[in-house]
Amino acid sequence: MPQLAGRLAKIALLLLALGSLYAVALHKHAQREEIRKAAVALTPGCTEKLGRYGLAPGKKYASSYVMERTGARVELRGYSEEDVRAIERGCNIIDDSQGALATDPWRERWNAKRFIRGNHVSCDHCHRGIGDLQDASGNRLPGSNSLAASWTMGDMYDRFTGLLLPYEMRQMQCYINSSNGYKPNVADDVIRDVTAYSRFLSAALDLKIANHYEEQGIDEIPASATLKQGDDYIRGEVLYNEKCQGCHGLQGIGLEVNGKLVAPAVAGPNSWNLQSRNNFYFVSTILAGFICRNMPPGQESTLQHQDCRDIAFYISNLPRPAGDRQGPVVALQQQLLMRVLPPLLRLTESSPSKSAAPAAETRAQPVLGHAE
Amino acid sequence: MKALALALKSRALLWQQQLPAGNSHLLVGLTLALVTLPQAVAFSVTLAGVPPHFGIYAAIWGVLFCAMLNPSPVFHGGPNTAMSAAIGVILLPTAAPFGAEYMGLALTLGLMCGLIQLLFWLIRPLGRMLDLISEPVINGMICGIGLFLIFRSLTTFGGLPVNTEVEWPLWIAWHSFLAILEVGNLYAIQIGLITLATCAVLQQFERLRNWAILIGIAAGTLYSQYLSARLGLQNTLIEQIGNLSAIRLVSPSVPAFTQDALPDIVAIVPGAVTLALLGLFQTVAAMRRMSRKAGIFTDSRKAIFADAASNCLLPFLSSLPTCASFNRMWLVHRLGIHSRITIAASAVLLLLLVLFFANAIALIPMPAMAAVIMLLGANMLNWEDIKPHLKNRREAVVFLASFLSVLFLDLFSAVLVGSFLAIAYSKWEQVNPNVSLRGNVLKIRGNIYYGSLPAIEAIYHDAIERIDDLIIDFSECFYIDREGVRWLAAAKAAHKVGFVDRRSGHDRRFEQAAPDRRAGEERRTVSATAPQDRRLPEDRRAVRRRERDRRRRSEF
Repeated sequence: MPQLAGRLAKIALLLLALGSLYAVALHKHAQREEIRKAAVALTPGCTEKLGRYGLAPGKKYASSYVMERTGARVELRGYSEEDVRAIERGCNIIDDSQGALATDPWRERWNAKRFIRGNHVSCDHCHRGIGDLQDASGNRLPGSNSLAASWTMGDMYDRFTGLLLPYEMRQMQCYINSSNGYKPNVADDVIRDVTAYSRFLSAALDLKIANHYEEQGIDEIPASATLKQGDDYIRGEVLYNEKCQGCHGLQGIGLEVNGKLVAPAVAGPNSWNLQSRNNFYFVSTILAGFICRNMPPGQESTLQHQDCRDIAFYISNLPRPAGDRQGPVVALQQQLLMRVLPPLLRLTESSPSKSAAPAAETRAQPVLGHAE
Repeated sequence: MKALALALKSRALLWQQQLPAGNSHLLVGLTLALVTLPQAVAFSVTLAGVPPHFGIYAAIWGVLFCAMLNPSPVFHGGPNTAMSAAIGVILLPTAAPFGAEYMGLALTLGLMCGLIQLLFWLIRPLGRMLDLISEPVINGMICGIGLFLIFRSLTTFGGLPVNTEVEWPLWIAWHSFLAILEVGNLYAIQIGLITLATCAVLQQFERLRNWAILIGIAAGTLYSQYLSARLGLQNTLIEQIGNLSAIRLVSPSVPAFTQDALPDIVAIVPGAVTLALLGLFQTVAAMRRMSRKAGIFTDSRKAIFADAASNCLLPFLSSLPTCASFNRMWLVHRLGIHSRITIAASAVLLLLLVLFFANAIALIPMPAMAAVIMLLGANMLNWEDIKPHLKNRREAVVFLASFLSVLFLDLFSAVLVGSFLAIAYSKWEQVNPNVSLRGNVLKIRGNIYYGSLPAIEAIYHDAIERIDDLIIDFSECFYIDREGVRWLAAAKAAHKVGFVDRRSGHDRRFEQAAPDRRAGEERRTVSATAPQDRRLPEDRRAVRRRERDRRRRSEF
């Protein structure tokens, strides 16, 4: 008899556990439904961008950007209210992945923060201009990492591995390597919303699917685009100390003032990892291209090609987290370097960053201007 | 008439006696076939990057060949998680998955793996090396794989797409769990939970235990069919096993050995070695573990031959390589069947199932399959097997190391880490012999070999300075290597020490006769000082042994 009772208790416990698991799932699903139905509080940057492109629910959508540029009215299938909310959430995630501008970051950014390690990285740091960088007169810039142009190539063969990567997988790679974070499930809303936003951007700019546009990716700087003096990280260090250290700090660990991010880390625990393609040792042309196009803010395109390669080389020599496929030994080694090197260097070097920090704050305003 | 009825009854009784109570070979075979099927599909598609028929043929021909060649009645071959994952990793840099080139290379890899395994059979010491995996290592691996299977099935359980990455760190399992709660397909979760609950509840009853998985899958499939009828498959979005009609009786294939592929083939040779070792480690380890559980013994060489021969044949039948499957052998054990016929029957049944009931199998929902795999994983975490390892600190360390290595590194590293620790511990034990000095007797208990000599020398040299007539007693040494022999000879040559070696049957019997160990100890110490004094009556064998010992001692 006690055997039977024990067995019944076991079964009851098991059913209870499974039932409560289901109850939790129901509760979480309801929460998600609520978030998806709620109105979206846009960041200032997104309000401006989506407003300019005339995003509104309706049967037809005609981009005001295209009308303004070409004079032609291109009518496309419109967006439902649900679609509009998804696009808005996607824009928010790109502009402010960590939810610094949100009242409830976890809810409003749909857990994007959960998949990012550290508190610096935002999608917008690489995909400038909320994934659609334009100059003052509204011209789209080539090699600006545009999400719109990226979407038109949809599922593309990866240049480096030869694998067919769907757009969702490419986003996952961003989370894993560029934010040194975790892989969201392909079906997760964090991926779906960003896809919706990218797709909307390509419609708003009237980009055609399966076409390659110059805005996609980065205008890379190979060694052949220089005078072929050879890359030199010592020269890079000098240049870094002169031009970058004011904002990005000694050892590239980034700058936060009063808990607010002024310049993101380019090395150290809050930065991209060793397997990111920003890493000079992995792909030497990408980070150099990004630096030449975007840095230093306010004086873009003043650096020579060789300078950018040198700086990229130097930055990639600074300790940063290991990639998730490099195994525990490399991870441990990198963690050790990141913890030990900066304090050691602070001891041995006289730090110019202290005096430069206040100046950096004012200088860095235009960088994150839209995010303030 | 009455006589006929009686005869029939007695025949029926006889038949019943031959079968284990409550078991039917057919039922067990069917269960095994149905459990192997989803694993075969999942391993080939998500891990190895080849079409599902590769895994299914491995589940048919691999199991059949192993059952025919391997005399062990507990052995169940077929597709394997670690091997499939390794194939995916090895071939990733060579070609695009699911392409013709990739599949050809996968077959070549399997063939090379089989040939390398054949070497392990031909060269005896290589095969014996596989026996160095200790039981805590194997149990750690089993528990690790159990958890791994549970984590691995999480996304399918929740109706989410599988993240097609080969590696599977723990934190991804956690994120998958959160994803199920937040964005999982609720219908899939319902089907999975119904299957899981049905199986788990039925498992509690002795009589229904063997039916549990079949009934569970049936319940899940029925519920999924009910949902489809009510809401339509396009609304429930339940993934089903799908179309298997492409599978034929035999599908011959040829591994790629063309001029073009040669650089790739050379590049994957180290991978082939890894794959071969991975398979053999698991085969030897799983077979030893399960044989002991069943109280039988099978020579591991025969298992190595069975694996090697199967893997040399399978690439010509468009199949993945085979090796032992811990989870399915566990199932075989739980079902209480030790019969090669049943296991072979499971392969034939699977073939018949996919040939004739492809339409019915196609309806089985993947979440139900995931639930069954999770249940198998949970069953592998057996507290009764873990408990003995946690009582001893060394075993606990080895067990935990191999368990954690499966979760944090991979199966191969788990074997290496665990075996290294186990060997290191056993060597470490021998490195510190118990050396005691009582009066003028230096007693050494343990091994005298190159590793332990420094520890012995330290005390010996300390003693020899104080004591003139030192006697070294190595009666309780069980192993002396050549270096030890040379050292003892050198010590003797210094004419300062005497030797006592009474490793004879006579003295052992003497020790057994004296139940009080301390009393025996004292008596022996006395006799050691005057070795020729006390003698008990002895038989001729003991005399002969004594003679032999004396001859040995004269070596020094």
